[in-house]
Amino acid sequence: MTPLFIRTVSLRFRLTLALLLAFLLLVLDHRLSVMEPTRAVLNSIISPIQYLAVVPEQLLSRLDQNLQSRKNLRQENETLKLDMLEMQGQMQRYQFLVRENERLRNLLASEAREDSLRMVAEVIAVDSNNFSHQVVVNKGSAHGVFIGQPVLDDQGVVGQVISVGVSTARILLISDQNHALPTRSARSGIRVVVQGIGETSELDVMHVPHSSDLAEGDLLLSSGLGGVFPEGYPVARIVTIDRDDSLPFARVSARPIAHLDRIRMLLLVWQAGGEQQPVFNPIQEYRERLEGAPESEGTNPETEETAGE
Amino acid sequence: MIETSSSMGQRFVIFMTFVVALVLATMPMSFWAAAIRPDWPLLVLLYWVIALPHRVSIGIAFILGISVDILIGSSFGIHAGAYALVSYSAARHYQRIRNFSLLQQSLLMAALVAVERIIVFLIEYYLNDAQFFGQYFWPVLSSAILWPWLFLILRKVRRRFQMI
Repeated sequence: MTPLFIRTVSLRFRLTLALLLAFLLLVLDHRLSVMEPTRAVLNSIISPIQYLAVVPEQLLSRLDQNLQSRKNLRQENETLKLDMLEMQGQMQRYQFLVRENERLRNLLASEAREDSLRMVAEVIAVDSNNFSHQVVVNKGSAHGVFIGQPVLDDQGVVGQVISVGVSTARILLISDQNHALPTRSARSGIRVVVQGIGETSELDVMHVPHSSDLAEGDLLLSSGLGGVFPEGYPVARIVTIDRDDSLPFARVSARPIAHLDRIRMLLLVWQAGGEQQPVFNPIQEYRERLEGAPESEGTNPETEETAGE
Repeated sequence: MIETSSSMGQRFVIFMTFVVALVLATMPMSFWAAAIRPDWPLLVLLYWVIALPHRVSIGIAFILGISVDILIGSSFGIHAGAYALVSYSAARHYQRIRNFSLLQQSLLMAALVAVERIIVFLIEYYLNDAQFFGQYFWPVLSSAILWPWLFLILRKVRRRFQMI
């Protein structure tokens, strides 16, 4: 083997090949988006790196927890108890309102609203990609995560799932330039589309006529019209409105309710009674499926068919 | 030949350096630390291209670029193409680059990292209407500062495992 000769002959040829391949992949991935399944597989293969990358941080935070003083812990416990009490108070009121709402909806003979199921996911990678706002969480298709799934945090809407590996999922934040979602003003009920502009603390409200009844400080709730996000979750609050008559539309900017720049724990949301359901214990589920393999194989196609209809 | 028995292990060593580089590139960090994070995978790649051009060159660069694309979540092929192009110029002139002083090499690495980032930005601009911002080129500086240390460490690794 004399590597000298092999290399020098084919270097330029290899570059051409690599560039052609890269271009082909770009076209396939971006323009035709046929790479989704491949991407899911590759994501699963490469996920160990993502898990490895958060190990130091997790160790540090565990150390930090271990080193916390007794006094701090007791203090924290105290405040948490107080919080809990307050929450429970609010919860009672919420239960009452839910029942009342149900009764009223019955009176109006309109459909009852479905509850949603949630699962907590932890952010394991905030992307170093400079041109896209994405995060990776530690739940994947094994947990029932699906593409297009809405993601919230404790404050409001965060984004949606755009690709899923076995144990990881990638979430596009609402602040990404390629993300827009339909909302409704909580005060006036006006429907507007909120688009990301690549800033974590600013969103753009699109195509607002000068005469529309929006005001600074209005809360925008998801309207549920896009079919991705469930209705009624807080998305953003309007910060400024610039009604410059020389422009075709008023320039409205809003600030996201969720703290997009310091997300840690997220909530994945499933509609109750929907096609996809969360899997809270994937290993157990997998075992059950193995044991009852012939049976589940028989039932699966049926359920898929009914879902399709 | 003895080489064949140890070449597997050597390949594993090279692979592990890439894994470490990818981990360092995706490790979550505070905003400022992330903004000046050097381009670890590209620097490690360029080291191996210069040191072992017959083993690591455009093919490996392409695969590494694809891995970066997956990890970062950019469209497939963006980093793969950019890495291939940059590693081509390094592989072509590896003999000359080996004779540079560390300072000269650092400057060259800065230039190569800058080229890579410009390519990535242009593609992203064309595909996704990416907005330019000044911090985007900070890693060029940090990569240049990192290069001498990285070079010495990787050279130690290479000599330890007797890779020629």
